[in-house]
Amino acid sequence: MHPEIARIQTMLGGEGYVADREIATAIYLSMSLRKSLLIEGAAGVGKTEVAKVMARALGADLIRLQCYEGLDATTALYEWNYQKQLLHIRLTEASDRTVEQREHEIFGEDFLLKRPLLEAITREAAPVLLVDEVDRSDSEFEAFLLEVLSDFQVTIPEIGTIRARTTPYVVLTSNRTRELGDALRRRCLYLWIEYPTFEKELQIVLGKAPGINADLAGQVAGFMQLVRQAKLEKTPGIAETIDWGAALMALHRDHLDRETIEETLGVLFKSQEDARVVRNQWLDLWLRGLERLRAESRPWSQALVERVAAEGALRR
Amino acid sequence: MKATRSGNLAANVVAFTRLLRHRGLPVGPREASDALRALSAVDLLDRREVYVALRTVLVDSRQHFDRFDEAFREFWGAEEEETRPESQPPDGMTPEETAEAEQVLRKWLEAESQNPEGDETQETPGYSPAEILTRKDFSALSSEELHAITTLVTQIARRVATRMSRRMRAVRRAHLLDMRRTVRHSLRRGGEIMELLRRRRRIQKTQVVLLCDVSGSMDLYSRFLVQFVFALQHAVSKVETFVFSTSLTRVTDALSDAELSRALDRVARTVPNWSGGTKIGHSLRQFLELYGRQLLGDRTVVIVISDGWDTGDVEALEAAMRELNRRSARVIWLNPLLGGVGYAPLCQGMRAALPHVDVFAPAHNLDSLRRLERHLALPR
Repeated sequence: MHPEIARIQTMLGGEGYVADREIATAIYLSMSLRKSLLIEGAAGVGKTEVAKVMARALGADLIRLQCYEGLDATTALYEWNYQKQLLHIRLTEASDRTVEQREHEIFGEDFLLKRPLLEAITREAAPVLLVDEVDRSDSEFEAFLLEVLSDFQVTIPEIGTIRARTTPYVVLTSNRTRELGDALRRRCLYLWIEYPTFEKELQIVLGKAPGINADLAGQVAGFMQLVRQAKLEKTPGIAETIDWGAALMALHRDHLDRETIEETLGVLFKSQEDARVVRNQWLDLWLRGLERLRAESRPWSQALVERVAAEGALRR
Repeated sequence: MKATRSGNLAANVVAFTRLLRHRGLPVGPREASDALRALSAVDLLDRREVYVALRTVLVDSRQHFDRFDEAFREFWGAEEEETRPESQPPDGMTPEETAEAEQVLRKWLEAESQNPEGDETQETPGYSPAEILTRKDFSALSSEELHAITTLVTQIARRVATRMSRRMRAVRRAHLLDMRRTVRHSLRRGGEIMELLRRRRRIQKTQVVLLCDVSGSMDLYSRFLVQFVFALQHAVSKVETFVFSTSLTRVTDALSDAELSRALDRVARTVPNWSGGTKIGHSLRQFLELYGRQLLGDRTVVIVISDGWDTGDVEALEAAMRELNRRSARVIWLNPLLGGVGYAPLCQGMRAALPHVDVFAPAHNLDSLRRLERHLALPR
């Protein structure tokens, strides 16, 4: 393994992020080729964290642009500080400057409020720019984004063209609610993050819920693997697993049983429909699967969990 | 990877990208040069690392992973080590399941066309065999044609979607405060804001609700409509999709997958009564009760696709249709039989529903799908 990739992997580990080799390699390549990194995967597999960790690894600032339906270019770039402009107009009322001069003043850089994209390209030291959930923006915004990411310069009518002082490290994430355009895809390196394996999730639980007993952590990780075999509206991700671990500890539980799981169902399943289906259809099967797992000697493995799931007809 | 050192490497990478392009991956000179740069930055003796690096640079979507893996093994030679790290196959599907899924899909693409005048038409009373021949419609397509048409449906939907979004921009009318212009104006009045200037705002997207009859006679048409609207939704609207025969199932989530063929197959597996009998009234009532509050409103277009052959309660159907009409901006009923020469909506169910339908249109071939466009855009 390239020493730098190993270093990134260790660094990610140090930040509490359990990264497999794909992730470390992609981050490394994105940093060394200076190309944007597009990360796709189901919700809750830790896409956003990659950017955060990357910023820490580089010692750079993280600038985040959260995309949403209707997000437009100006909101992402800059706005004028209207209050300050109005105040300035009042204060210079008595001066003998012409309207044109005063207009020029209030549309200067002092009155500019930088929004994430402009912020990212005007920093002295290259920051990490996280464009989160880019699939939620509409395709017009995507085209605009592509333009900014190609040239790293923007034009503000009143001021002129602003060129990037340094090229930011760009990370884009997508939950695939909308297929992104080919142009944007091709401009980026690509990383697909899968739901974690049993081993990886166990490591995450142990790392993120300090003080959890290893036995319970194993049961939690195993249970989550069973859960993800089911077809649900919203499959719980890593964040849910971590929350669940914390909830179980707060309740001082040291093993999983029906009562405990039912009590904490809301941590894992965030829709009423899912909670209902789980109660009626899946919980019994999962509990039986868990029983079977418990009968096996530790440490458990992904292969073992999958076998148990297959035997228990837990897949849909 | 032994033979890929120094001078050789560049030639090999170029040859490899050419192979990928040949296999249909969008890989050009830029990617090839990135690949070279990537390889110069990783440990070349580490096969796994080379694999990951090349995949990161050369593949731009997960759906191409398999093709890449295959080409990689072929070009750089197979090795005992498995190239896919996750012991879990993507999306939790086992190879058997994947194979099964493919089979289901292939069956769909082929089975229907093998008996163009078979079961389907016999189950559907009300029109003569002669009409079937004059309707050059989906059910009369050969398996090659079905393949081609699947792509076509998506293409047409894309074009329609582009046009629609352009039109929507032209009719924006809701107003937002434009502070930039307001401040500029106030300059001339010493900073006194005398007038609030406004700018146009993008209008709210239309909510489309799709209710598809998937009972025996409607199965094929519904699949095409689902596909059509699915392709539309990426660009233009919020779409909620339901299928019904004897009862209603919400399939929006099963469809919210970028890869449509897989999504369609998933629908087939999620819906318990795909191709059963039909209880339209009951199903619509179910929709109204469970989803009406959330989805219906003055920005909602409801599309029902069904032939109107109801084996349930006709009064229930009429009542449900009346309510549906009252609570939405527009109700479109698509009936594939309408494309047939001389078809009149005489069956009881259809007659009961018609007074409460704003647009009654055919949906039996590509052309009729294309014409759906003008009914989907709501004026503002």
